[in-house]
Amino acid sequence: MIKRIPLAWLNLTHDRRRFATSLAGVGFAVLLMFMFNGFMNALYDSQLQLLNRFNGEVIIVNRLRTNMFVPRAFARRRLYQARAFEGVQDAYAMYISEVNWKNPENRKSRVVRVIAINPDEPVLNIPEIETHRQALKLPETALMDTKSRVEVGPVEAGVISELADRYIRLVGTFTIGTDFASGNGNLLMSDQNFLRYFADRGPEEDKRSFATVDVGVVKLAPGTNVERMVKTLQEHLPNDVLVMARDGENGFVIRERKYWQENTNIGFVFSLLTSMGFFVGIILVYQILYTDVADHWAEYATLKAMGYKNGYLLGVVMQEAFILSVLGFIPGVLVSQLLYTAAGNATGLFFQMTLERIINLLVATFIMCLVSGAIAVRKVQTTDPADVF
Amino acid sequence: MFKTQPQSTLDSSRDDLAVQIQHLNYFFGVGDLSKQVLFDISLELPKGQIVILTGPSGSGKTTLLTLAGALRRLQDGSLRVLGKELVGLGDRALVNVRRNIGFIFQAHNLFESLTASQNVEMAVELTGKFASKREQSVTMLSALGLADRVDYKPKSLSGGQKQRVAIARALVNHPKLILADEPTAALDKKSGRDVVTYLHNLSRQEGCTVLMVTHDNRILDVADRIINLVDGRLESDSTPNDFVQHKTQEALTEVSADMFIM
Ligand SMILES: Nc1ncnc2c1ncn2[C@@H]1O[C@H](COP(=O)(O)OP(=O)(O)O)[C@@H](O)[C@H]1O
Ligand SMILES: [Mg+2]
Repeated sequence: MIKRIPLAWLNLTHDRRRFATSLAGVGFAVLLMFMFNGFMNALYDSQLQLLNRFNGEVIIVNRLRTNMFVPRAFARRRLYQARAFEGVQDAYAMYISEVNWKNPENRKSRVVRVIAINPDEPVLNIPEIETHRQALKLPETALMDTKSRVEVGPVEAGVISELADRYIRLVGTFTIGTDFASGNGNLLMSDQNFLRYFADRGPEEDKRSFATVDVGVVKLAPGTNVERMVKTLQEHLPNDVLVMARDGENGFVIRERKYWQENTNIGFVFSLLTSMGFFVGIILVYQILYTDVADHWAEYATLKAMGYKNGYLLGVVMQEAFILSVLGFIPGVLVSQLLYTAAGNATGLFFQMTLERIINLLVATFIMCLVSGAIAVRKVQTTDPADVF
Repeated sequence: MFKTQPQSTLDSSRDDLAVQIQHLNYFFGVGDLSKQVLFDISLELPKGQIVILTGPSGSGKTTLLTLAGALRRLQDGSLRVLGKELVGLGDRALVNVRRNIGFIFQAHNLFESLTASQNVEMAVELTGKFASKREQSVTMLSALGLADRVDYKPKSLSGGQKQRVAIARALVNHPKLILADEPTAALDKKSGRDVVTYLHNLSRQEGCTVLMVTHDNRILDVADRIINLVDGRLESDSTPNDFVQHKTQEALTEVSADMFIM
């Protein structure tokens, strides 16, 4: 059996404290990459939290609503028209508006997003609507998002406060999370209550009625081809509305993500920060490997004098790089997970560590260590065994 | 046993010689900066001989050793080691020659992270004998009086013990040629003497040729032959007795006393 002395491992771990410091260094670089990458993804992913709850395969919006932030409604008639098509089971209306909510504790006003639906219709996949249906049908009641920012005050059933300067009572909570369009949090109420608050908010505000809708959620009959249905609806409905599938490459959810990716500097800024983490990592690992080679210069040169080829020493340095990347990644990912949870709680943003993202950053960490290894290896290659004499 | 070739000595190779050097010149640097350190060296080391190379500092001893050890490329003259001509060889071929040579340095150059045995096993692994490496290493360490230290790391060994581990590493593959550059310089008198005695006995036992650079006149008695190098030229080649007598006379008459540093 061929069992080589694991020189790379022994050299790395010989000095425990130095090894621990090295792993902490790599872990820190991994952490930096995870945090910046995490913030970037959280900002994007957060935009989709509400969209992912839409209970229908097809979404209808005003053609001018390029993203959820644009307050453009469309004629509710379009939903009736859509219902007439074969394969369409139902078409639900959703009303969205922003308005001031008064923090009941410090009386300060904060903008929140109000989402309104008919509580008898399954417009959103939010189980709490079902639970609190009867209460939602009472006048001046609403549910509040538990992930609303702390500025809105306590979020629990029984809280009494003011919405658009009118009395309101929370009858329960639900959980979505904040995004760019949600202000400080989300409030969910019945369409009837929506009219109470938004039908007439004074001369300067839009007057809302049931004639216009912000988002139409179309439920298809089981087995209906979504793509074909989208096409049919788009062809037959007037051009003021845009019909899209909810999911898929050209779907509504992806469009929203793309909008924020393409129209903000988030991607640029956070990719830059992530790559900074990457380069910090390269420098750290290079430092570790270089120090190892420099400290053991005479020993490595002696190996060369004995007849070891450059390839062997190259292997040792690369193995060290590999060990550092794998073992440094583990603490990095664990601490990042903790910070994701903490950051998610603090901001209401949606921090998720998917397997794909973990693998991507593991590969990045690999590359990081390999690049450092490749630079450090030159030191070994130029080591001249004649110089040890 | 061998053919004598009176004329063209440059092509001659004799298999009773471990090292055969003919008209070797060596320069460091190139062009205007080039500096010659070895001048027309011709030297033959028969197999099994223990040879001490001495001379003032800067005279080229280490350079000669590294050349014989296939650690530097050579262009001029002829240098045969264990039957192989080194002049004109490339780096790759030189590495293969090195595997048949045992090197001992002034510093032990042991990996702190490896035990005594593992350090020696690093040499055995070069031969591919993975199954028996531990056994070979323990045998060699025992022969150097380190049977009870095989699993110690260098940190817990004395200077003399570390140098003995380095010798075990150099000898474990039974090389036919051993090159040692001031192996006792970093040791106190007693452990220096011990180390050389072990080296002497083992190489006699193994029948290998030793070329050792040293300034330590207390260990000259282990040599069969002493070569003195001055300013890159062979100055004298004699037996230890003659050498000591000659030097003593020189010292008395105060002719270049610095040639032999004690
Ligand atoms: N790598 C080198 N480059 C240039 N000159 C060198 C180098 N190594 C040694 N020399 C020079 O060669 C001469 C012989 O050196 P060396 O063989 O180390 O002598 P010794 O071992 O006898 O003290 C010295 O003058 C030294 O300065
Ligand atoms: Mg020297």
